Amino acid sequence: MTGAIPTIAEAARLIAARQLSPVELTRACFERVHALNNRLHAFVHLTEERALAEARAAEAAIMTGAPKGKLHGIPIGLKDIVDTKGIPTTCGSKILQDNIPDSDATCAELLAAAGTVLIGKTQTHEFADGGPSFDLPRPPARNPWETGHFTAGSSSGTGAGIAGGLILGGIGTDTGGSIRGPAALCGIAGLKPTYGLVSRAGVAPAAFSLDHIGPMAWTAEDCALMLQVLAGHDPRDPASADRPVPDYTQALGRGIKGTRIGVVHHFHEVDYKVSEGVRAGIDAAIATFRGLGAEIREVQLSPLQDWGACGSLISMTERAAAYEEWTRTRLRDFSERVQRRLMLGALVSGVDYVQAVRRRRELRAELHAAMAGLDIVLAASQTAEAPKIDEVPAWDSFAAPSFTIPFNVAGYPAITVCAGFGAGGLPVAIQLVGKPFAETTVLRVADAFEKATPFRDARPTLA
Amino acid sequence: MPADISDEALDFLLRRAGLDITGAEKAELKEVYANIVRMAERVRQPRGRMAELAHVFNFTEDDVA
Repeated sequence: MTGAIPTIAEAARLIAARQLSPVELTRACFERVHALNNRLHAFVHLTEERALAEARAAEAAIMTGAPKGKLHGIPIGLKDIVDTKGIPTTCGSKILQDNIPDSDATCAELLAAAGTVLIGKTQTHEFADGGPSFDLPRPPARNPWETGHFTAGSSSGTGAGIAGGLILGGIGTDTGGSIRGPAALCGIAGLKPTYGLVSRAGVAPAAFSLDHIGPMAWTAEDCALMLQVLAGHDPRDPASADRPVPDYTQALGRGIKGTRIGVVHHFHEVDYKVSEGVRAGIDAAIATFRGLGAEIREVQLSPLQDWGACGSLISMTERAAAYEEWTRTRLRDFSERVQRRLMLGALVSGVDYVQAVRRRRELRAELHAAMAGLDIVLAASQTAEAPKIDEVPAWDSFAAPSFTIPFNVAGYPAITVCAGFGAGGLPVAIQLVGKPFAETTVLRVADAFEKATPFRDARPTLA
Repeated sequence: MPADISDEALDFLLRRAGLDITGAEKAELKEVYANIVRMAERVRQPRGRMAELAHVFNFTEDDVA
């Protein structure tokens, strides 16, 4: 393979037409991995032998028939909190350095069954929390747009790997923004689906009632292709929704004329003022949506800090419960950042937690009412462009509110897509939120935006 | 709710959580405790009767089969 890195959709078309060999594509990915991973630290474990075997099997199957789907022969990465049978799954922690699961997480199983090629396990903040940490077995992932800068997290390696062209897509997890944060700062697309749409079985928990699994890729269209494989009921996940899975790609390219988009201006203009670059990206995106025929309206929700307080209290407490035993017995084996956050869990009372869960019900009802006459809510995704990796505050979650956690609190689907470039040429992003299980609409609007703007044409130069 | 926490209260909570931490760590936790208080106040607002945890007790088809 020579030339530009294809998207999943482009590669799938070429593979189906037998103009692109999965083996060649896989080799091209590994060439980039071997050349760049020592700078990006996107991967913590490579599965080269398995990947080439999978690619050869895909090629043989396609040469004698047709691909089994759009992901057949596509190189991907799995966040290292996703269990993979016979392959180390360390959760980025000293505690699980020798952990080799004896079964696959459901998402890993589904992607393998779809014929994807596993390039390896991608870097994660420790147990999908904190970060960047420099006291873990492996260094944190770096932003391909500027390697001195942060990727955000916790799905840091998947974000860096996709932006750097090491993989075409991958799995992220999102408890307060861990898919959408890296997607924003690395200039890619990342979808947090509706709570329960994608199985969490076999994925290390962060906070049970806020955890989501979802696709990350260069484009929204690619996220749709991945979601098609990932969505569906799984009895192994107690929160799994038992609903029919629609065709997520069927509406792509049909335009968004008449789509009702509500903008939560007060989140990024009043509750917390975002950077000039992020603000400009949002304003330009609104103009783009207007130009595409969407109806733009204003949405008023509770202050961002209310959503953050609710989500953070729930997250801290559920995390403290999930990791209680190791917190008591192996506290010093966690990174300093995660130690601090686990200690903090001891200061939240049971009553605080229940009050937060009660508040959550009201906030969700509020979003439901606000979206009654809308198809999409548009909000900021991050406060600013990627900070320098060594300048992220120890208590970063208290330094600025999260623009992504409101939609973990509500469980609504939300995608982050690139909306241009701000200070230092670093990506800025918007967040598009849909009604529960309305991923088809979210993806259609995101895809229309990407195709109406030039931001998918620029890749990091990694000079 | 007071925005600070006494040494005794902090020690009690840490002991209850099974945590044995350094003096510097305790001082840092005391410093950030105000953030917990602020958040706890934000989730204590007037609310309606639907705002409770009933969703935990929804029975599924399997439960009633």
